[in-house]
Amino acid sequence: MSAPISPVRQPLITGSKTYHQITEDLCSPTERAPNATWVIAFLISVSVLGFGLFCIAWTIWKGIGTWGSNRTIGWAWDITNFVWWIGIGHAGTLISAILLLFRQKWRTGVNRAAEAMTIFAVLCAALFPGIHVGRAWVVFYFFPYPNTRGPLWPNFNSPLLWDLFAISTYFTVSLLFWYTGLVPDFATVRDRAKGIRKKVYTFLAFGWTGAAKHWQRWESLSLVLAGIATPLVLSVHTIVSFDFATSVIPGWHTTIFPPYFVAGAIFSGFAMVQTLMLITRKVLNLQDYITVEHIESMNKVILATGSIVGVAYLTELFIAWYSGYIYEQFAFFNRAVGIYWWSYFGMMACNVISPQFFWNKKLRRSITFTFFMSIFINIGMWFERFVIIATTLARDYLPSSWSFYKPTWVEVGIYLGTMGLFFTLYLIFVRVAPVVAIAEVKSILKAGGDQYVEKHKAHHEKAELEAPAHH
Amino acid sequence: MDIKMNYTFDGRLKTVLLVLMGLGAICLAASFFHNPDGYHSRFWSNFLHNSLFFTGIALMSTFFLAVCITAYAGWHVVFKRVWEAFGQFLLIGLILMGIITVGVWLHAHHLYHWTDAASLDPSSDIFDPILKHKSALLNPMMYTILGVGMCAVWLLFHSRLRKFSLAEDKKSDPSDFSAFRKSKVWAAVFLPIAGFTSAGAIWLWLMSVDAHWYSTLFAWYTGASWFVSMICVTILVLLYLKSRGYYEFVNMEHFHDLGKFLFAFSIFWTYLWFSQFMLIWYGNVGEETIYFRERYDNYPVLFYGNLLINFVFPFFVLMRNDTKRKTGTLILVSLVVLFGHWWDFFLMIKPGVVHTAHEAYAHAHEGAHVAIKGMSFPGLLEIGIFIGFLAGFLFFIFSRLTKAPLIAKGDPYIQESLHHHT
Repeated sequence: MSAPISPVRQPLITGSKTYHQITEDLCSPTERAPNATWVIAFLISVSVLGFGLFCIAWTIWKGIGTWGSNRTIGWAWDITNFVWWIGIGHAGTLISAILLLFRQKWRTGVNRAAEAMTIFAVLCAALFPGIHVGRAWVVFYFFPYPNTRGPLWPNFNSPLLWDLFAISTYFTVSLLFWYTGLVPDFATVRDRAKGIRKKVYTFLAFGWTGAAKHWQRWESLSLVLAGIATPLVLSVHTIVSFDFATSVIPGWHTTIFPPYFVAGAIFSGFAMVQTLMLITRKVLNLQDYITVEHIESMNKVILATGSIVGVAYLTELFIAWYSGYIYEQFAFFNRAVGIYWWSYFGMMACNVISPQFFWNKKLRRSITFTFFMSIFINIGMWFERFVIIATTLARDYLPSSWSFYKPTWVEVGIYLGTMGLFFTLYLIFVRVAPVVAIAEVKSILKAGGDQYVEKHKAHHEKAELEAPAHH
Repeated sequence: MDIKMNYTFDGRLKTVLLVLMGLGAICLAASFFHNPDGYHSRFWSNFLHNSLFFTGIALMSTFFLAVCITAYAGWHVVFKRVWEAFGQFLLIGLILMGIITVGVWLHAHHLYHWTDAASLDPSSDIFDPILKHKSALLNPMMYTILGVGMCAVWLLFHSRLRKFSLAEDKKSDPSDFSAFRKSKVWAAVFLPIAGFTSAGAIWLWLMSVDAHWYSTLFAWYTGASWFVSMICVTILVLLYLKSRGYYEFVNMEHFHDLGKFLFAFSIFWTYLWFSQFMLIWYGNVGEETIYFRERYDNYPVLFYGNLLINFVFPFFVLMRNDTKRKTGTLILVSLVVLFGHWWDFFLMIKPGVVHTAHEAYAHAHEGAHVAIKGMSFPGLLEIGIFIGFLAGFLFFIFSRLTKAPLIAKGDPYIQESLHHHT
């Protein structure tokens, strides 16, 4: 036993697992033929993805006029979806990087899937700016490459360009982080595999032998990547918030946007992790690794970040009044009781009010309740972005240009298509890689395994009166 | 092995702190008599500056204890009595802010432009419609009720957490965690309350010094400044106590973690500084930029120095692993950054106060200008007052430390904390 464990800590691995059982439990989903549930889910996801691709093709063929965006509301569903997906990615980086720095042992049960989710969510997000430009075939104009048209093309003063850098950096680091974690687990799968599978996993495992030197370098690299990824958790959504906050549009130009967007992103990301993990643990029978303790911890993060978002909403409302600036006041009045009042209502109900149920321990530990809450929160966070974007644009300074936006079937189809893409990738992922990090779960077995936690308790009671207790 | 479980506040330290407090009192009195404007602006702004700064440190230690309890943190438990002692300073904070509040009622000072009755009178030639609009919040009655109310709420939560912590010392059954469970409930409930009230207090006490200006991020920015200062004082107090033979179980592992907090939250503070500054600069709305314009033009050394001392210095020094584990380096960084955040508060308070004083003086003296020392750069008196307040804070917390065992041996995480390794 490396260090004493407090008797109030709960086990993080149940079922008195041995190291070998952990390997068996976590590798086997990649070794079995997929079951009917997986096949049906996969077929549905791919079909939805197919429809999304059709809608994208339709947009590119017919032009951006097939969308409901108009001269006043030039940004609507596309950017709402973009911000929504980017936000969802944040929980993965938070779990893998910040919780690693904070030595949170419970992260090992969920980090792998959360990191995968980050990568897939960023891919879904990146799609939207790519097609919103209209002429998707010149999308490389985004990048500042040397060219014959004069100086570098993009506008370096624009937060949209900063966004490009922020997101591509984020994607790269998240991918490296995810893959680094996967290397020892790929080696485990390789050592059990035969034939062509063995060849593939041999390639993927980068010649990992499990030597002490490998582990030492792997630990160092994980820590370095965590150090790099931690500021990225903040910077990415900060820069997304700059897309709005650098403008002088009432309701957008407010200094609290950066940290408030980050908190909201973590909030929605954890909700998506919950949705995925609750399904995954059931379908793959991983209840011993993703325990109710894990779910409760994530619900606490949801409660905390939801409340931070609530403080930010009320701060905005307060300052809108306090500033004495009528346009700012109108922006918030319009959000609450204007044409899109229902989206404001949905945002407040789902993001601020509903998480408060998690003050109740029973609800926090209820699987069914958590599942419904995770869906609510993601609806709420989608509404938040819609409120910020469409509601604000619909009522600008000039009443003569006030307008209304409603999405067309093409936009709905693209949005559904990103869901299809997300779930298709996730379903493939659970087939090819261990969905819970084998090596990392093993590393906490002696501290978090239920058979050891009982022993710690007995040990603690004995140790209680030793050490600092002599007077 | 002889373990010092109880702290004795020795006579030599008492004398040193009392002398420094006396020095601070003399400086404070001297700043009262430097009164060219007739409003004692130098005295009152120094009083507000230091009162806010140290009250905030006390609030942040209570808040952070609540965070640690809620988040199942164990590493800090061995020295949590130090944070509990910091939290008790909230009582002094209530008294200090009470004095400012009495001053508001008696018109003893001109810290806040919104206390000027003529500016709120529509028939007056200096009628200020913006202040009139804000007077629903910014008025002596609300200042008193909200200010005292928020301090009282903080004190209530602090005293409950303290009570349960002390109850754990006395338990007879090691597996009885009832006091700990109660403290978890109080700690969790305190988090949102602290979230709202800290923002409210900062708007009321600090942002309203620049009564026309507003920024939604300001409360969080100031909160981060308080938090970093709290970590600095923690490191310094713990290193002092160790040097006197106390807290032998607090080792470099604990300091390493405190150093990481100092490093990380210095970056976080800079992130909030940048977010606020950059968005206001980029948006270029006059009502907002005026705040930075004033500081940029008239306080350039403080303005840029703020970033050097609170970001560049701790960032580069604490980046390395080993610097967070060296006593000398930690003392240096903590002292510099503590002073740096005091400097940040100077920059938040003084320009607004001096602007109000100048305007009021010019109005009363047919447009004449008055020079007030210690308003554009900290003078010797300001430094003396800071040292006096710091000595007072330390005197108070050391005297509180004697009231309970230094180590909370009944805490369920005590073994984890004693054997902590990063």
